[in-house]
Amino acid sequence: MSADIKVDKIMDLKGMPCPMPVVKVSKGIKEVAIGQVIEAHTTDPGALADFPAWARTSGNEILKTDQTGDVIKFYIKRKV
Amino acid sequence: MDIVYYIVLVPMVYVACVIFVVGTVVRLVKLFMTPKHSATLQIFPERRPRWLWALGDAFLLPATRRYKPFFWVVLMLFHLAFLLLIVGHIELIAEIKPFQVIPHEVFLGRGFVGLVLALAVLYFLFRRFVSPTKDLSVPEDYYLLILLFLSVLFGSQMDWARRWYGYDSLSAADYREYLSGLLYLRPHVSIDLTASGHSFMLLLHVFFANLFLLFLPFSQLMHSIFSLPMNKLRRG
Amino acid sequence: MDTKTRDELLKLFQSKLNQTMRLYLETCTRCGICTEACHAYASMGQVRYISAYRHEIVRRIYKRYFKGRGKLWPSVGEAKELSETALDELYEAAYSCTGCRRCMMYCPFGIDTQMLMSIAKLLLVGAHAEPEILTMLADTSIEKGKSLDIFKESFLAGIKRLEAEVVKKWRIEAGKKAIPIDVEGADLLYVALAGAHSIIPAAAVFNAAGEKWTLSFFEAVNFGAFVGDPTRTRLILDRIINEAKRLKVKEVCICECGTAFRTMKQMSGKQPFEVSAITEVHARYLRAGRIKVDKSRFKKKPITYHDPCQIARNAGVIDEPRYILRHLTDDFCEMSPDPRYNWCCGGGGGLVALGEDNLDFRMKSARVKVDQVKATGAEILTTACENCHTQLSNLNDHYKMGVDVQFLSSMVADALVQ
Ligand code: SF4
Ligand code: SF4
Repeated sequence: MSADIKVDKIMDLKGMPCPMPVVKVSKGIKEVAIGQVIEAHTTDPGALADFPAWARTSGNEILKTDQTGDVIKFYIKRKV
Repeated sequence: MDIVYYIVLVPMVYVACVIFVVGTVVRLVKLFMTPKHSATLQIFPERRPRWLWALGDAFLLPATRRYKPFFWVVLMLFHLAFLLLIVGHIELIAEIKPFQVIPHEVFLGRGFVGLVLALAVLYFLFRRFVSPTKDLSVPEDYYLLILLFLSVLFGSQMDWARRWYGYDSLSAADYREYLSGLLYLRPHVSIDLTASGHSFMLLLHVFFANLFLLFLPFSQLMHSIFSLPMNKLRRG
Repeated sequence: MDTKTRDELLKLFQSKLNQTMRLYLETCTRCGICTEACHAYASMGQVRYISAYRHEIVRRIYKRYFKGRGKLWPSVGEAKELSETALDELYEAAYSCTGCRRCMMYCPFGIDTQMLMSIAKLLLVGAHAEPEILTMLADTSIEKGKSLDIFKESFLAGIKRLEAEVVKKWRIEAGKKAIPIDVEGADLLYVALAGAHSIIPAAAVFNAAGEKWTLSFFEAVNFGAFVGDPTRTRLILDRIINEAKRLKVKEVCICECGTAFRTMKQMSGKQPFEVSAITEVHARYLRAGRIKVDKSRFKKKPITYHDPCQIARNAGVIDEPRYILRHLTDDFCEMSPDPRYNWCCGGGGGLVALGEDNLDFRMKSARVKVDQVKATGAEILTTACENCHTQLSNLNDHYKMGVDVQFLSSMVADALVQ
């Protein structure tokens, strides 16, 4: 976990086929309150473009993207 | 009573025919003026020539034969009998040489064509009372079949009476006189036609057939015309 | 439903009424020949899954508002008001139909259920009653097209990591990039999905064949088509068309995704490039001797192939996968004697993307597919569509089929002789 961001929910989306990571995240975000943050782990390279695009259309914010090895971590803040 | 006969046998026939023709033409023109779908709707693998396969699909219903063989037989018999009856009616209007390649008395098939048709229609009708076809059917499906059944029944009765019971006070010539009169716009309903013991059958036959014709252009019966272009779409 | 909403929905309905649609709407005789055609009906036996029953739900509204008869004498055709309940019925009909068009084979007139359901789907979009996840995914795709520059860098970084994996497993000619992107003048633009499984094996095969290729920035899948929204479908399609034109490629090759392939192939109109499925491209390489595969790779395992509806029956790629499989095995078992009548996997039309929400229905409605697979006795079940693959894997788990579900393209990559 990133030290400076308080995470309220962690989602493991590793190895999921397209378009499941985005689908899951868009559902998962509804389960936290506005202002809270989820941390999503994926292995999909496509997610690197999909997540930001999704965030823009859905009005949420990606605070940070971390890549460690194969795993990409997104910190997403629910805005709407 | 005479006036009822006259109305059904003359003006109503004209009205039905006009509505049938105009309705069909208008519907076709309207439809074929609407823009086509832009992408292909073809099913693969493709077979060539496509129009020939489409013809085969439209007239031989290969998928039906494969999955519902009994229904297919009935469907085939029905459509064949229907066609033969149309030929029979044309022959009633005037003698047509090419139809006589196989010499026959007017109304082909010694009354059996009508019988087959009537039975097939009954089968179609009863199917619609059984699930799952019942759940798909809407009232018009029943009405149309009932109309068809009634007009086939009374029409065939006239044929059967002459063929099977030796009833001879109305002959094909009498009908021909009536029908050709209608066609040449010199309608004439002879007293023979309305006074015989079987003339109510003629009345009912024509009455139901008129209704059928009236409804046809507005119903799914247009599948008779649409089937071919639609099958062509599927063949690409 | 207020009059304004209804009028707007009817306008959408009207926009769908071309000649073909009218033929489909006006010709059905409700003969019921299509009854057993739908896998959902064949598996579950419920009348509402008969294709003609689905049609009627759309057709009744059509009769009510677009036919004189329905106005004069509504009861004879059971014409029906467009109401909230009608919307529910439309939803039920459209989102239990995978658009596989198997029923179209049965119907004597070839009525296309997928087309009729596209009316239902469009009305649902208009009423904001569609599965919002699909619209969300479609909008995400469109957004990517609009602001490519923002996502470019991170996407490229992601691809870098994949390149490392390609290089690890397959030999690459010195000085060549394992996954070229944005190469102007390349021969072939490969449009993949977001997942690594859709990029890595494909890259291996392209490189082995010495193809001058380039990877698209965009994913192939068209969620606009799933949700039945022509405007979104077009926007998603245009991203790729524009990219292909910009790079001046001769061929656009679509990854293993049925809907993506069919929409691109049949709806992109006349373009300066060819559209092909990756299966076709692989078959071509094999035929020309540009790649070689090792038959012993999948030895002793009977293999069967599931024809994805949108690729086989609806787009004609039928011989190519079989040609490829002949190079991969001597033990191939056909699933259906005639691919036109092959059962749908039960996951198309956006159903798989709805994930767990409809998992239960997807499993129940595809029982006939499971039986069909089992009857082949195969141990490897291969297919060439992401949707099918996901659904078949779900079925495999649910029904404990014990088969190994594989992508055909990955099998080719795995068996490459280097
Ligand atoms: S087979 Fe065709 S005409 Fe018959 S009920 Fe089905 S869709 Fe309608
Ligand atoms: S298109 Fe496929 S899923 Fe839809 S009704 Fe026809 S057979 Fe069933």
